[in-house]
Amino acid sequence: MALLEVRGLVKRFLGVTAVDQVDLAVEPGELVSLIGPNGSGKTTLFNCVTGYLAADHGRVLFRGRDLTHVAPHRVARLGVARTFQQVSVFPRLSALENLLVFLQQHQEEHTLARLIRTPRLRRLEVEAVERARRLLDLVGLTDKADAAAGSLSYGQRKLLAFAAALMPDPDLLLLDEPAAAVNPTMINQMKSHILALHRQGKTVLLVEHNMEVVMDISQRVVVLDHGQKIAEGSPDAIRRDARVIEAYFGR
Amino acid sequence: MRRASALAFIVMVVAAPWLVAAAVPRQQRYVLHVLIFTVLFAALALSYDLVVGHVGSLSLAHPAFFGVGAYAAAILATRARWPFLADLLAAVLAAAVVAALVGVPLFRLTEHAFAVGTLGLALVASIVANNWVEVTRGPLCITGIPKPVLGLPGGPTLAVTTLPGYYWLALAALAAVVLLYRRLTTFRLGRAFHAVRDNEPLAGAAGIDPLKYRLLAFTIGAALAGGVGALYVHYLSVMCPEEMTVALTVNLLVIVFLGGVGSLRGVLVGAVLFTALPEVLRLAPTWRLVIYGGLLLLVVVRSPEGIESLLRRASGARAGR
Amino acid sequence: MLHGLTLGSMYAMVAAGLALMLGVARLINFAHGEFFMLGAYAFWLGYSELGLPYPVAALLAPAVMVLFGIAYQRTVIRAILPRSWHVQLIATLATSIVLTNLAIIVLGTQPKEVPTALSSRILDVGGFRMAWQRLLVLLAALVIFWGLHRFVARTRTGRAMRAMSQNREACAVVGVDVQRVTMVTFALSAALAALAAALVSPLFNIFPDMGTVLTLKAFAAVVAGGFGYVNGAIAASFLIGLTEALAGSYVSYAYKDAIAFLMMIAVLLWRPQGLFGRRTGI
Ligand SMILES: Nc1ncnc2c1ncn2[C@@H]1O[C@H](COP(=O)(O)OP(=O)(O)OP(=O)(O)O)[C@@H](O)[C@H]1O
Ligand SMILES: [Mg+2]
Repeated sequence: MALLEVRGLVKRFLGVTAVDQVDLAVEPGELVSLIGPNGSGKTTLFNCVTGYLAADHGRVLFRGRDLTHVAPHRVARLGVARTFQQVSVFPRLSALENLLVFLQQHQEEHTLARLIRTPRLRRLEVEAVERARRLLDLVGLTDKADAAAGSLSYGQRKLLAFAAALMPDPDLLLLDEPAAAVNPTMINQMKSHILALHRQGKTVLLVEHNMEVVMDISQRVVVLDHGQKIAEGSPDAIRRDARVIEAYFGR
Repeated sequence: MRRASALAFIVMVVAAPWLVAAAVPRQQRYVLHVLIFTVLFAALALSYDLVVGHVGSLSLAHPAFFGVGAYAAAILATRARWPFLADLLAAVLAAAVVAALVGVPLFRLTEHAFAVGTLGLALVASIVANNWVEVTRGPLCITGIPKPVLGLPGGPTLAVTTLPGYYWLALAALAAVVLLYRRLTTFRLGRAFHAVRDNEPLAGAAGIDPLKYRLLAFTIGAALAGGVGALYVHYLSVMCPEEMTVALTVNLLVIVFLGGVGSLRGVLVGAVLFTALPEVLRLAPTWRLVIYGGLLLLVVVRSPEGIESLLRRASGARAGR
Repeated sequence: MLHGLTLGSMYAMVAAGLALMLGVARLINFAHGEFFMLGAYAFWLGYSELGLPYPVAALLAPAVMVLFGIAYQRTVIRAILPRSWHVQLIATLATSIVLTNLAIIVLGTQPKEVPTALSSRILDVGGFRMAWQRLLVLLAALVIFWGLHRFVARTRTGRAMRAMSQNREACAVVGVDVQRVTMVTFALSAALAALAAALVSPLFNIFPDMGTVLTLKAFAAVVAGGFGYVNGAIAASFLIGLTEALAGSYVSYAYKDAIAFLMMIAVLLWRPQGLFGRRTGI
């Protein structure tokens, strides 16, 4: 059974059909890329999957469970993590705290227990801090742990948001343009991070405009244009697909 | 060193009645009265800051919750002759229940609409206080609220009748509020509040239910405000509808925003500055409001960074801790 | 019923100004009720104290308030427009408090009455009796709304206002003088509030803290009318005025004010986009 399944999804905004009858399935352990020209509906599709927008038609299934009318925080707790295209951090929390926020909600805990700070929670907190530090090491932000996230550079915030999404060890990772607007070194870094995740068996759905990244690492590519799925296949097949070439270079 | 000075400060605050008696024997009553007001306002401002400073919801409904608690305590103490601790508890619960009930619909509103909706609620509450004469006695006020008597049924009791006694009671309440405030605004709970305040959509992606935390802060803030209301009416022994007007919101806004939004120390300093000072200067209430309004405006308009820099300073202090 | 229409006209003039500010400048002016209050006192000063004839005093009030609106825009509004909505809200609320309490200090809390010849003369149409002043309020309101509509639809400035309410950034880019248009909006809104004050003051008492409740009711109308959509706000104002008059006579006089707010909250929850649907622009 597919880990994520999108069936006949439709989303309209005031006359614009941003997502138009899209079907999509991602198998466990797959690394799939979603590409398409600007405004083709990629981000909107993410928003429908993760509960930020209510789809007009169609269904979203995660492990066979219907996500169509589930709130964002519930989707997240089911094991779906996402990043935002507009890099998004908690500006007034430190980098370390930014990561900690992402873990605590997944560890079953009662408000009262948090008020009292039970020994179990203190232990979980220590483990969470350890995990957060490891992830900061991974993305090279070790020395920024105590800096307010708002004071980091654009690229650093992007890395921080990426690390935060990994914090709860999600089963499905939706990444919205992780390599956009950062320098070439960082693009390569991002690429190897994503590949490493893939090797660990994580399932990744990637939105990206950088074709080099997409073609290098994806197993399968899905192409949207004007909200419709116009092609789907291996990177090589997509590269030669006439409709894709038309969508990108035609007009 | 810092511990020592903090300890010295606490000792001074607790010993204030004796210090006052030694330093200004003739004005002792007046100074203690000002101190009691300051302590109560500090507790009230902290309860407000939970909502405004830590989940970032600019609620203008705080006078309503203060009023619900104050009236609940006043009515139970005079008509039903409930003991002090029981009516205090009832005041806390009443305010919390009202907040939880109105909070669910109010938090569906966005920024401006939320502010307008909460201001509307405060006005409705004050209209009810003025007009539901059978219960609140309207502008005639509820009078003859007894001095608090501490103790549980059957056990020994302790009547708080002197000003120093009342000061210590208020101080104990403030200490409880400070403790709760710190517990709520640090560690996991505090991080969740701040996440919701800083970036609501991202908080959702982190698995945090923004509504839950907004509602939690709102309800706890209201409960504490209700408790302060009960203490307040037992001190003054009367409760009138004028106690819950927009002027109270302005007082709280001044204390919280000029003192330091989202920071325990800032709010406490603000409470001392903006409660004790005008009392000592013997400002008429109208002039006080003119000056407060002017100060708020000046900070917002004149200082290039204004309140936002205070916000940042507060968060800087937090991050440094 | 007639009382409801009078109230509705008054709320509508105040709410229209509020909606203009919200639409054009994206700002909620918590001091708007105080514009009305100041306008009423300006009228009282001209009519009762200086002994000016009614039409002159009634035009003096908006003239004074236009200057006030411009001054307010130049000092406070210009500084807070680029700021977060928290800051805007606190600044305008602070202005409202300062104005109210200054008015109390200068003028006292004693309500003032300004009866005019028209407010006591009764018109009798086949047993249906009404004060001439109420008729004047209704007719003037109609003329004013017609004029406002023409202004926004036909003049250059009016069209710039409409454009700004739809896309502020684009306006700055294509060379609309954003500061000037904002200033005109504030002057116009202040004039509307003052005109309302001059029209209804002969019927109701004037007192320093009447602004807050009025601001809230006008907000209720703006919100119900679709957040910044002027015609919607006007229509909603009449609805509130009528409800209040009916509630005042059939349900409870004491709680008539509460009813308007409860209505507002109900509308906000039931139809956050307003009673008349979602629109962009004024
Ligand atoms: N909240 C919204 N309201 C109205 N229209 C929207 C909204 N969000 C997206 N759209 C429209 O939906 C269409 C798809 O937008 P979307 O952001 O999903 O594209 P995208 O593929 O992510 O583009 P990009 O590559 O630029 O990120 C666009 O026409 C956009 O203008
Ligand atoms: Mg996008």
